[in-house]
Amino acid sequence: MSKTFFNGIYVVATLLILGLLAFKVFQPIQVLPRMRLAPAYSFIDQDNQPLTSETMRGQFTLYSFTYTNCPAPCYNSNETIKEIQSRIGEVQLNGIPVSFVTVSIDPDRDTPDALKIYGESIGADFNIWKFATTTNKELLKTVVGSGFETYYEDKGDGNFALDPGFVLVDGWGVIRAEYRYVTEVSDADRILRHLGVLADEAHNSVGSAKLAYEAAHLFLCYAP
Amino acid sequence: MKLKVFLSVFVVILGLAAGVYFLRPHTFHGTVIQSPEPSFDFTLTGIDGDVSLSDFRGKMVLIYFGYTFCPDICPATLANVGQALRDLGSKADDVQVLMVSLDPERDTPEKLAKYVAQFHPSFVGITGSQEELDKVASLYGIFYQKTEGSNATGYLIDHTATLLVLDRDGYLKLVFPFGVTSDEIADDLKYMLRQ
Repeated sequence: MSKTFFNGIYVVATLLILGLLAFKVFQPIQVLPRMRLAPAYSFIDQDNQPLTSETMRGQFTLYSFTYTNCPAPCYNSNETIKEIQSRIGEVQLNGIPVSFVTVSIDPDRDTPDALKIYGESIGADFNIWKFATTTNKELLKTVVGSGFETYYEDKGDGNFALDPGFVLVDGWGVIRAEYRYVTEVSDADRILRHLGVLADEAHNSVGSAKLAYEAAHLFLCYAP
Repeated sequence: MKLKVFLSVFVVILGLAAGVYFLRPHTFHGTVIQSPEPSFDFTLTGIDGDVSLSDFRGKMVLIYFGYTFCPDICPATLANVGQALRDLGSKADDVQVLMVSLDPERDTPEKLAKYVAQFHPSFVGITGSQEELDKVASLYGIFYQKTEGSNATGYLIDHTATLLVLDRDGYLKLVFPFGVTSDEIADDLKYMLRQ
């Protein structure tokens, strides 16, 4: 009896370890990390309407940073968002809305009117793509620089040093992905895939399946 | 022989079930954050002078943003946190609750100290200038703005009503939504204190 018991224990331990290894290696569920809280803000958008972090609760928001006089890097960012905007139907979002918020770091020149003209010129759908800023430059620096960890600096000659990139925030206001550089696949492909991963988690992570999703977070089963 | 096989299978199944049960991840009642860096350190003013977040390294810190004139959400949340700490017993010595007032016009450090003591004697109330609060609140994901109230209440402050939990090293680990119960808070804190 005792031999049977101990054999059973060994088998159980082996099966558990194999199961955990299989979960880690094959990653049947993939997630995006919950990196940190997105900063709270109160901006004015291109229609002169308030746009706050609370407005974006309950939806996935892709943030980008620009100024309307910005040369090539911002243009490339806009092209990526335009591609995502046109291909968003490819992603199974389970009814969760997606928005894009492009934050201007140049509030002196980028008034709501200027942002509206800029948005129209690049083909933005203002229903889902907002352009916003605040004249409170200190708070803007806090939100963009410290909160979204996007470096920018006013060069004083009408130009800014800016590290372009994207930040993806979930409906709880948690930063789930940052895109600081162009990867082997295009940012648009990657961001669209990540939106699908977020939507899957939001939809499926209930009841006992929530345990599996938490295990995926625990074992760092992150979507590439 | 058949009995041995049956027993072996039974032991394996029972063991697997027990293993899965005991090794299952703790189900948190809030959103778990896997922050790779410590949270923003800040210094605000309490009744005994400057209070910095880093003063509490080594303790688990709960931060709640609110104000003393808050009619319902703040007292409900703070009451739940106070009850959770009482449920923790002596383990509550390893937990520090900070209430950050978003209403420095009306909430003096003295008034804040009296207010938070109603919920638990260990709570610390702090506030600062509008500029300081703007920065701290933003970096902790707390949106707030003044809104009109009644003659009786004066102005109100709409604010994000989440409760934030930082570990002993100052890393944000958990965000409780509004409505979390004292049992749920105590359950998660007990688990985190064991880590």
